[in-house]
Amino acid sequence: MSEDVTFSIVGSGGDGAVVAGDLAAMACAAVGLHVIKTEAYGPQIRGGESSSTVRISSTPIAAQGEAIDALVVFRFGDFARFRSEMTLSDRCIVLHEPDDAPPPELAAFRCVPVPFAQLTKDAGAPGAKNIVGLGLLAAMFGLPLDSIRTAVRKRFRKRDAAIIDANLRALDTGVQAGLACSGGVSSSQRFDALTPAAPRLLMSGNEATAFAALHAGCSFFAGYPITPSTEILQLLAEWLPKIGGTCLQTEDELAAIGAVVGASFAGSKAMTATSGPGLSLMSEMLGLASIAEIPSVVVNVQRGGPSTGIPTKSEQSDLFHAVHGGHGDMPRVVLAPCDVEDAFHTTADAFNIAEEFQVPVIVLSDQLIAQRRETIDAASLIHPVVPRRVVLDPDDSYRRYAMTDDGVSPMTAPGIAGGMYQTNGLEHDEEGRPSSMFVTHERMNAKRHRKLAAIAEKYPLFRRYGVADPELGILCWGSSAGPVIEAVEQLNAREARVAAFVPRILAPLPIDALEKFIFSCNRILIVELSFEEQFHRYLRSLVDLPPLMTRVLARSGGKPLSAAEVIAAAAILEEVTA
Amino acid sequence: MTFTANDFKTDLKPVWCPGCGDFAVLNSVHRALVAAGCAPHETILVSGIGCSSRLPGYVETYGLNSLHGRALPIATGAKLAQPRMTVVAVGGDGDGLAIGGNHFLHAARRNVDIAYFMMDNEIYGLTKGQAGPTTPTGDKTKSTSYGNPDPAIDPCALAIACGASWVGRGFSGDVKGTTELMTRAIQHHGFAFLNILSPCVTWRGEEQHKEIRAKTRAVPADHDVTSREAALRFTDEQEQVTTGVLYEVNRPTLLDELSHIERRARGEKPAATRSDFLAAFGA
Repeated sequence: MSEDVTFSIVGSGGDGAVVAGDLAAMACAAVGLHVIKTEAYGPQIRGGESSSTVRISSTPIAAQGEAIDALVVFRFGDFARFRSEMTLSDRCIVLHEPDDAPPPELAAFRCVPVPFAQLTKDAGAPGAKNIVGLGLLAAMFGLPLDSIRTAVRKRFRKRDAAIIDANLRALDTGVQAGLACSGGVSSSQRFDALTPAAPRLLMSGNEATAFAALHAGCSFFAGYPITPSTEILQLLAEWLPKIGGTCLQTEDELAAIGAVVGASFAGSKAMTATSGPGLSLMSEMLGLASIAEIPSVVVNVQRGGPSTGIPTKSEQSDLFHAVHGGHGDMPRVVLAPCDVEDAFHTTADAFNIAEEFQVPVIVLSDQLIAQRRETIDAASLIHPVVPRRVVLDPDDSYRRYAMTDDGVSPMTAPGIAGGMYQTNGLEHDEEGRPSSMFVTHERMNAKRHRKLAAIAEKYPLFRRYGVADPELGILCWGSSAGPVIEAVEQLNAREARVAAFVPRILAPLPIDALEKFIFSCNRILIVELSFEEQFHRYLRSLVDLPPLMTRVLARSGGKPLSAAEVIAAAAILEEVTA
Repeated sequence: MTFTANDFKTDLKPVWCPGCGDFAVLNSVHRALVAAGCAPHETILVSGIGCSSRLPGYVETYGLNSLHGRALPIATGAKLAQPRMTVVAVGGDGDGLAIGGNHFLHAARRNVDIAYFMMDNEIYGLTKGQAGPTTPTGDKTKSTSYGNPDPAIDPCALAIACGASWVGRGFSGDVKGTTELMTRAIQHHGFAFLNILSPCVTWRGEEQHKEIRAKTRAVPADHDVTSREAALRFTDEQEQVTTGVLYEVNRPTLLDELSHIERRARGEKPAATRSDFLAAFGA
């Protein structure tokens, strides 16, 4: 039996909707449950509407909750702003203030008036209606109350004891009120019978990325604040000084990637993090890193684009920019995490590949992975680390760009006697001397691109899900993997034969494994959050897709993909190709 | 081990035009690195793009001739990553003040411990003769057929205003003087900006060199280098050009500040470990 529930708390700034969601997520993670928590905000800097959606399950989950089983609404005016992005399950219970009537379209759901404001007064905890709401939800779904109390104490540990007590009273008041609402909640939504398991970590993709950088030995970070990647800058500003590393907040993204290239040239493992607009600015410097063969890691957390687009919401539309952006023939590597834990592994691999092959590596994360909090096992946060290969005792024949079979040449670093070289973004010969001769350009292009073949062979990163002999094969990447994995499970539970292939390295694409997968399927469904179908078009440029048996589910970002959408697209594909 | 100017020379032949002021600047760089006690393998030269930005190719150190306008962020990253190295950024007026102007402001403000030599020829030479940020108003160039509409920037005034802790001006025609200024700039603790008037014989004419020579005056012996007001009197000059150290103060460098931050972050504790970081996430 698998217990699985999703609830949302919606309110205005100051209502504490996000805090209540955090507390529920922390408390459930602490007793070993599986949690994915997302947040959504209006565009206001402070105040404005905010919502927190928490999915809790007794078994592993791959995606954020897509159908909401319970909704706490402090004000329907705020709910209206999120309505188009929220799907309510048929059995959804809507808890609201008595004097705030639900809109007519919610009449089909069970709407229960709860006097939140009055209850907080009764509890002597004014302002704690979020905690009352949390108590209600805890009672309804049998969430671990002791663990929630611990989470409340931890959250308010720097405040007066009186404030902690008031919040705990608000929690109990909510629990009492919630017992009256529990009717109609099925046993598959109640967790009170579960025995606590070992605690899980609760982490966001940005946090996993920052942690991976430390794990990989990154000692230099430079960045410029930009939503939704800013947490990486903030965390490394806090963490790097604790291990003797350096974090620099630069004047712009041009300087951020410049400082990374400078630090790496000087011998340090270095990284920057940004989002689409910043990646656009960094393009030229990535070209320098590519031609001068300077290891560099850029994390790009995708958001809605182009231009400023939708800074707070996810999209998968930076793919073309990452794999093709910039002028000239420019070998670079693009990795893409498919969940929070994978943000750790792909970032660690980004350093390994950058260091071993002296190339720029872009980690193409997205807002949905970067800013959702997800439970993971601490034991999974282990990854091999490749040190920088430096020639410590170069002799007179040392040439920085010497020809080699795999295209990787010996690298020295400042401080090493006899290892001096002068490099540049001009085409250059094996010694780094500028050259505008065709023959040098052709040879050096070939040398730099040979590295991609070596990388493709050593890092064919992908994940495969579903049955071994699929009838339908789904191709997707990044955060789309979550809903796709759940759709595959649901379809296979209905005796369909479905599998999914999720490349975690997009450039160079793991062509052999991908082609093998495609040939093993009768029909192919491509799933992505890009209006221009960038992933579909990118795949078309590199592999053959069965012409009449391929369908694409592609739409704008701004709203998370759901398993239901994937299942519906699979049904249409089956119909049109039957 | 001591080094000679020859130890800092590469056998690459400069691409510059005969008579270019940058030859003399290069000569001064070779000598100044010796005078400042630098070792080739412990020195990093970074440049942007332009005629003068070719300079690192002609100096036997670790060198990076990078992107147009981006020498300073790269030099900053290199210095922070390897504080023991001597880091020198070089480039032209267009590279540093036009496309790279924003970085100039911030490198000076942060007081990054690097020396920055700007070879100022008042023109874009590599692209063959367009007006740049130091080209005088009214000058006819390839891109200003009817006269340059923009006023010129005085790089030294800008450096002082932005917070550089050492500002000097030199003239390529005075190799000895420029070498001394470079040496002091390299030895200065903080962001040291040296504006070097380096004539472009090809696009500014043979006369530019003579005109500059005629206008240059050494900074008066009684000049108070710690006074911003006094230093600014030797900027935006019309009838003469003052060379020498215009401004010199000591204030904490970016590296000084970062080491304070490390102490605040760590206190007396040893370096944080994996479990310290994971504790924040419920481990």
